[in-house]
Amino acid sequence: MPPGATPASELSTRLSRRLANFKLSDAAVNALADRITVEGLSIARFDPCIYGICLDYYTDKLPALASLSKKKGVVKWEVFPYGIIEWDRFHVRMAFEVDELEGRGLNREFLG
Amino acid sequence: MSSWADRRAERDAARSGFLPDRIVHLHATRLCNLACRHCYSESDPGRHAALDPGSILAALRILRAEGYTAVSLSGGEPLVYGPVADVVDGAKALGYRVTMVTNGLLVSPRTDAVLARLDGLAVSFDGLAGTHDTVRGRAGAFARACDAVRRLAAGGRPVGAAISLARDAIPELPDLADHLVDLGATALQIRPIARAGRARALPGDTFYSASDETRLYLVVMALQEELRDVHVHGDLAPAHGLWEDRDAYGGLLGTCDTLPFATRPLADLVNPLVVTDAGTLKPIAYDFDARFDVATVDGLSADAIAEYKRQRLPRLQLLVARALASLRGRHGLVDWFDYVTRASERFTGQLARGA
Repeated sequence: MPPGATPASELSTRLSRRLANFKLSDAAVNALADRITVEGLSIARFDPCIYGICLDYYTDKLPALASLSKKKGVVKWEVFPYGIIEWDRFHVRMAFEVDELEGRGLNREFLG
Repeated sequence: MSSWADRRAERDAARSGFLPDRIVHLHATRLCNLACRHCYSESDPGRHAALDPGSILAALRILRAEGYTAVSLSGGEPLVYGPVADVVDGAKALGYRVTMVTNGLLVSPRTDAVLARLDGLAVSFDGLAGTHDTVRGRAGAFARACDAVRRLAAGGRPVGAAISLARDAIPELPDLADHLVDLGATALQIRPIARAGRARALPGDTFYSASDETRLYLVVMALQEELRDVHVHGDLAPAHGLWEDRDAYGGLLGTCDTLPFATRPLADLVNPLVVTDAGTLKPIAYDFDARFDVATVDGLSADAIAEYKRQRLPRLQLLVARALASLRGRHGLVDWFDYVTRASERFTGQLARGA
């Protein structure tokens, strides 16, 4: 881990506290929820990452990729088959840029 | 190899609503050693009426044959119900999985024997010490509830926490979750305070706006990531997700001439089933509207259940269908059981068939 970088678990702790604390405005919370809610996709995992927040979704239908691209704040997305366990299920991983939350400093360290 | 869709269909065929088990929520009494400000059943130390344990077990025998597999004891405070051990033993002898929600104040060596016979136990919390003691109306209630969690965990018993939060207690949730996990809790169930029972008299700002619900939902998601070894569950769910999962109610809604109610066990159709301290059997929640009552404990029989299916179940079917349909295309979050319970109060309409 680079010097000064924030451990993921500590970042996650701060995430739950920042979300719970009303100093993060309703508008910011609503904007975040709007970004991460994707029609037809069930959220499986929610994790701070170098982009801001990364989410893993599962679906049994190939998602509309064009709509994913247009989703506000999406930095990148990946869609791949879930694998041997579930041949006809898809795993979608999306990274969102979230300015309001801790992790922006981490972005700068990795992106230079 | 069957497809995921086939296995999902098989799973949905086995489901009865959004719960993983077919559950009887038993409120044997509203006697309680507390009088919490938000109590949905309005329990307090003055409510001495209680159900007869023999009647309870007779009803549970019939309900076991109707497909129910779990009994969850609440109240009131289950540990002040004198015959609680007899009910626990009798329910287990019938093949039920038996769990309990307690305020924790009476968890002690004196109650060890009955607690050891449970399959699961949750202690209820409303926030950190100051908030919890205020809501409970008892100084030291938080400390004693924490002692209960610690004691049960130290004894090797799996113990969870049932957390009900007012709006202004949301900021306390991460610290409360950390504290409970440090004490040994292995499961956290988190929900907004419901506008039911004694809670109806609380100030309006106790309850949640849509943004508050979103905030709580996201905090729960973050805690799920943060507390990997703990089962963290929130009662709020995206409305569109519930609509997409509507096949969970296929047992109740998917009826036709070849799949009549009469041949189906009650647990496939009504889940959870609530037994109140007055001996009434209700669908889904303690304060579900009385027009949807299923039966009474003393009047319960196969014939009574058959009559319910003929005469009144179609009303519940229509209510649940409408409630699910209202979620289609809806944004935001829903506490499904509270949502459909409030819908029961507003219900108007003709039955699809029947009386």
